[in-house]
Amino acid sequence: MSKIGLIISREYITRVRKKSFILMSFLGPLLIVGFGLFTAYLSSAEKEKYEILVVDESHLFDSILRNSQKYHLQWAPKDKSYTEIQELFKKDDQLDLLVYLPVNLIKTNSMTAKCLYKDIPSTGVQKHLSGIINEAIELYRVSYNKIDISTYKSIKTQINLDVVDIENQANKNIQRKAFIGIAFSMFIYIFIFMYAVQVMRGVIEEKTNRIVEIIISSVSTFELMMAKIIGIGLVGITQFIIWTVVTFIMSLTILPQIIPDKYNPASQLETDKILENSVTIDPSNEILQFIIYEIQWPYLILFFILFFLGGYFLYSGLMAAIGAAVDEEADTQQFLIPLTIPMIFALMMAGKVIDDPSSSLSFWLSEIPFTSPIIMIIRIAMGIGDSSVEVWEIILSLFLLIITFIFTTWLSSKIYRKGILSYGKKASYSEIIKWLRS
Amino acid sequence: MSSKNIIEIENLHKSYSNHKALNNINLTIEKSKIFGLLGPNGAGKTTLIRIINQILKPDSGTVKFDGEILSRKHIHNIGYLPEERGLYKKMKVGEQALYLAQLKGLSKKEAKNKLNYWFEKLGTTNWWNKKIEDLSKGMAQKIQFITTVLHEPKVLILDEPLSGLDPVNSLMIKNEILELKKKKTSIILSTHDMNSVEEICDEAAIINHSEKIMQGGILELKEKYQENSWTIKYRGNQMSFTNAVWGGWEIISHEKINENTNKAEIRLLNQFTINQFIKGIVDHVEIVEINLKTPTIQEVFIKATANE
Repeated sequence: MSKIGLIISREYITRVRKKSFILMSFLGPLLIVGFGLFTAYLSSAEKEKYEILVVDESHLFDSILRNSQKYHLQWAPKDKSYTEIQELFKKDDQLDLLVYLPVNLIKTNSMTAKCLYKDIPSTGVQKHLSGIINEAIELYRVSYNKIDISTYKSIKTQINLDVVDIENQANKNIQRKAFIGIAFSMFIYIFIFMYAVQVMRGVIEEKTNRIVEIIISSVSTFELMMAKIIGIGLVGITQFIIWTVVTFIMSLTILPQIIPDKYNPASQLETDKILENSVTIDPSNEILQFIIYEIQWPYLILFFILFFLGGYFLYSGLMAAIGAAVDEEADTQQFLIPLTIPMIFALMMAGKVIDDPSSSLSFWLSEIPFTSPIIMIIRIAMGIGDSSVEVWEIILSLFLLIITFIFTTWLSSKIYRKGILSYGKKASYSEIIKWLRS
Repeated sequence: MSSKNIIEIENLHKSYSNHKALNNINLTIEKSKIFGLLGPNGAGKTTLIRIINQILKPDSGTVKFDGEILSRKHIHNIGYLPEERGLYKKMKVGEQALYLAQLKGLSKKEAKNKLNYWFEKLGTTNWWNKKIEDLSKGMAQKIQFITTVLHEPKVLILDEPLSGLDPVNSLMIKNEILELKKKKTSIILSTHDMNSVEEICDEAAIINHSEKIMQGGILELKEKYQENSWTIKYRGNQMSFTNAVWGGWEIISHEKINENTNKAEIRLLNQFTINQFIKGIVDHVEIVEINLKTPTIQEVFIKATANE
């Protein structure tokens, strides 16, 4: 094996064999799946049954307001005032919600119904309540105006709005895809930072224990720096591949075990006796459909690796230079901050990019090499093609990333070469500029 | 053509941005000798070592290795033990030794065989699977010594090889160094431990303020700073001793050994000879022992660097 190969394999093997690496390989996917489950749990953490006390001042709702097992309606005594009923509601532990329908609600459009709670109901519950109230008012007006119920049903529609790009009609739901993109951009950020910092630590270790002097008598400083960067980069890719595979396996095996009913749209339907016109798809199931069929996983994974590598090479070269310039890790802070700012800025701008993935802000952030790995992956997740990001933009971004990392690596190697042999002096920006000039 | 010297340095200059590290250094190191490289901190020793190791390039001047201009191919003929112990703390002893040996151009198999030999020799066989961080400083130093000499370099550069070692291990390493010398290895020993210089070095050079101020055999260096000082052990009265000879000498120290025996250290001044002095005292006291006092290398070092 060549000496560079020897160094790469040492950097790689010592890290991959570490307990922390093996632990992270399983903890990472567990966290991802766990987090997914937790969000699913939160959104489904509704009560089995809601006891809802209804104050109907007009006395017109009792026959038409849809009652169900899950949302069980009870009618408040008609001889009590609204304030008295509120007291009653407060005292009765069985009751979850109090719905107040003012007297004129059914006749005018300007009134507001009220829902009083003890524990705040989820948006799903709120939507259900406003849904059945609207439905009841409509049904009342249908019969009041002597409209045939079948005519009403034919008029009544419930449409979904698909937001679709004219040039690429297959690409729907790009805002939702953006959330996958955000997840990936977070991963890119974490991966770049985690592994670039490992490069820095490795350099500091070699410098402080002077082993570097033995190694660079056998290979050049540039070769050592690149071998270290490549070795650790391979560790990052290995970690990512393990995460992808393990997450995939876990999602397929654990997820259906834990939330089986979420995979079966029929189960929800049985509990709710819903009118034909308001059938809804179980949202978590829809999300699953979306995740499986609409996200372009192969592209996303391919570009994740490419942009991770690009970003990683860019930042790790600079981190290596920082590691070489200082004597101990405590001194790195002043140099690390300027490096983290562009990445944090990119993460902060992610929201704006999602709002308008083809804006000029989105374009520039995804082309400028210091932010592009984080932003471009969001745009890619939102769909390659004309809708969010065009192929030439991705190519240009990668090209700029490569050019920049070649430049920064060259710059870093100059700092590295000088820094690695200088001890005891507190590194400062002026000292580094001196090294660059000499 | 084989040269008598393993290393020949001519007119070597090296400057950093803000100071001169080496100024016109000329140095020759003979084959199969132990060469002490001495000098105060910051004198330029490390820079010189780095140039020999080809970590740094000189601004001007030449370094020859065994008669040839020093180049990359000589790397495998040099073994370097840096001052701070250079080993990866988290790596296992055996793997690390194999890695460093391979970096020095040995094949894995060759390295393994040689490591077995050395591990057995220095009693470190049981440490193969231990991590460096679990070893004591002295143990780690032994491992590092092995990794430095494993590829059988022609030149060994040892920077403070004995610091931190207990007397047993220190002696063990010292003996290994002497044995390597017997096997025709040339050794450059950079150290502040003047006793070990005196014990094992054949030659030495002192560098101060970026310049070589002297070089030569250990005895030769001592002679240069030889003063006309003597220690005399005698039986008799101290008064009789000091009053026996008037002028031409001074007393440096005096010590009573027992009831009747004393030891004095004297310096002869100007042209006054030891024979004249003996003639003067011989009737007053009984001389037991008389020795010319030679300076230690430590004294030579201090005087040489103070004169600068």
